[in-house]
Amino acid sequence: MAGCTLTGALSVACFIPGAVTVVHAPQGCAHQTFSMLHAMMNDAETKITPEIMVSGLSDKDVIFGGEGCLRQALDRAAEKKPDLIIVVTSCVPETIGDDCRAVCQEHAYAKQILYIPTSGFLGGSAKDGENSALIGLAGLAEPAEPIPGTVAIIGEKNLESEVEENYAEVTRLLHLLDLTVTVRFCRNADVATLKKLGTASCFILRDDRSSDAGRELGKKFNRRVIREFPRGLSGAITFLRETGTACGISREKIDAAVSSENAWQEKKLAGFSKLRGKSVFLGAEPLEGIFAVAREAIERIGMTESPDGVEVKPPFYLPVGVSGTMKMLYLWRRRILHG
Amino acid sequence: MDDKFCINPVWPCAMTGACSILAGFSGLCVIIHGSSGCYYYPRSLLKVPLFSTYLLESEIVFGTVNRLKEVVTEVSKTNKPIAILNTCIPALTGEDLAGAFPDGAAIFVDAPGFAGNVEEGVKIAYESLAIETNEMRDGVNIDGVSLLDLFWRGNLHEAERLLSTMGIPVVVRFAKDTYENLRKGAALHTISVNPSYTSGIGSMLGSFLFPDLKETIENLAITFPDADMDPVLDEWERADELMFYYSDKYLRKYEPPIVAVCSQESYAIFAQKIMERYFGSDVPVVLARNRNAKTIPCVTNLQEITGKIAACKPDLILGSTFEANAYPNAAFLGITPPDRSRVSISARPITGIEGGISFIEGVLNSLMDMTGRRERRP
Repeated sequence: MAGCTLTGALSVACFIPGAVTVVHAPQGCAHQTFSMLHAMMNDAETKITPEIMVSGLSDKDVIFGGEGCLRQALDRAAEKKPDLIIVVTSCVPETIGDDCRAVCQEHAYAKQILYIPTSGFLGGSAKDGENSALIGLAGLAEPAEPIPGTVAIIGEKNLESEVEENYAEVTRLLHLLDLTVTVRFCRNADVATLKKLGTASCFILRDDRSSDAGRELGKKFNRRVIREFPRGLSGAITFLRETGTACGISREKIDAAVSSENAWQEKKLAGFSKLRGKSVFLGAEPLEGIFAVAREAIERIGMTESPDGVEVKPPFYLPVGVSGTMKMLYLWRRRILHG
Repeated sequence: MDDKFCINPVWPCAMTGACSILAGFSGLCVIIHGSSGCYYYPRSLLKVPLFSTYLLESEIVFGTVNRLKEVVTEVSKTNKPIAILNTCIPALTGEDLAGAFPDGAAIFVDAPGFAGNVEEGVKIAYESLAIETNEMRDGVNIDGVSLLDLFWRGNLHEAERLLSTMGIPVVVRFAKDTYENLRKGAALHTISVNPSYTSGIGSMLGSFLFPDLKETIENLAITFPDADMDPVLDEWERADELMFYYSDKYLRKYEPPIVAVCSQESYAIFAQKIMERYFGSDVPVVLARNRNAKTIPCVTNLQEITGKIAACKPDLILGSTFEANAYPNAAFLGITPPDRSRVSISARPITGIEGGISFIEGVLNSLMDMTGRRERRP
């Protein structure tokens, strides 16, 4: 459970510098997301506060209609002369029948207004909201010739507390292939940068949460789409091979990158040599795919798995590459060696 | 229409406020009749078990009563009383949800988010609970406890300590008690640890916030003539001296801080009084979160709040990290949620004698930290 479409759409739309987001909803709906963004940004030690404008539907508006509130919110947003106004909606205007699209189309700033009909939970889940926002924003970019050696990352989880650490792990691997991220779609990329999406030679999705957007964007721009960030240790190797191939990197270069990565993994795993021969118990799998990552780490370190072993907690998220696996192993090491 | 437009609203909706009260009574199962999004926020904020109907679009089209009955039936297997908390969309579709449970199987609380902010929801929740007083129960109720409050645990402990020292029993704690105790009836008299969260139950004898405490003790002494007030009054005097001692020490070295205060009205007025009394501070910005504030303006638009703060160039912000992040040049002490500036797990009070001391301590440490940071700058 992680909120409605509004939260999902805002978690994408609020990370575009120069754009303004208008939420057509009661104030409380916008507060929920604003509060979550605030919490996550403080966790990430980023003190920048995204600006969310809310039309503020009240009990009277739900009876008499809220289109006037939206119009007025758009007027206020346009006064700031933003590069883009993104309009998202909660379930309330959907239910009372506000024609939000028409209000956006008729507005004087219409050319720079992007209406994303999220409709709160009536439009689905937070995941659906994220995909709607990504697909809607991709409409800003025109098809273009791919620039060799470039990739775009799509659908980073902006509300994930380890978002930058995961990005750092992916860029570490991409550097082994001499690849550069030119667009983070949409994380702290302005409208001009987002418009360059079509120039990336390959798209990398954060995970299958954004697979709907990945399919649409891959088709629109005719690009190969890597379906997720690397899962665990062997996932890093697979990621290098798949991404390298998708970007047209030579076989020799990919092999060299894999060789370098294998050496790096051995070096990092050496820090857990005291766990060799220890027996652990994983308990219940919190998310499909976690055990595969965990069991691979167990085997690589030389541990065993047994119902009588020390119970260790598998993470509730998929560890990204070596970095994510190390975080999991640090917690295990503390548990095994220090109780 | 214009006054409802808002940039970065800083205060939750009525449904969240109502939920904070209902969830405070252990033994009462709270079902949020709404979508997963409406459930997710109060669940993550209040950190208490809640149920939800997790409404889907199809249920809105064909009616939500059956889904609600399904969840109520399941939850009723716990043999615990149930409160149904209504949200925006089922409130708009016009179904007779209250009428769906004519046998009193559940308390129906109609507090959709668009009905207002937290305080409106709190009022609706208390009205829906139909709480009665019981003259046979001797003692006072403690009011103003809300799971949304940064200080609720500390406030409750401090109020109970002070009342225990006076020899006055505590009857019902609004809203952190057992539902069973609530149904035995409340006492005829009530004191508050945070008057901005009011139950309206019992005659109000006053607030336990430090500047109000002596007057409240006088009222308690009239109502409970056998109570022993002297130890608490002595403690108040000693705390007052201590607070002056440390603020005097600060003022020998520094100028009185200019202060901006943004929180619920009760804490805002408390903070203003304390800063004026002990530091001689100028407090040019005092803003309330709650729309029913009587003595100071309510502003929940962060952009407007930030503009007012920036205009007065404060040395210290007493509010939330919304304000602190927007104006990082000032020292900061969190007195209203969210406070993301620190890990806060212990039961800190802001009310009572320890609450007054703790507040002064926090202010001094925040001011000195900021001074240190400024001095270390190249």
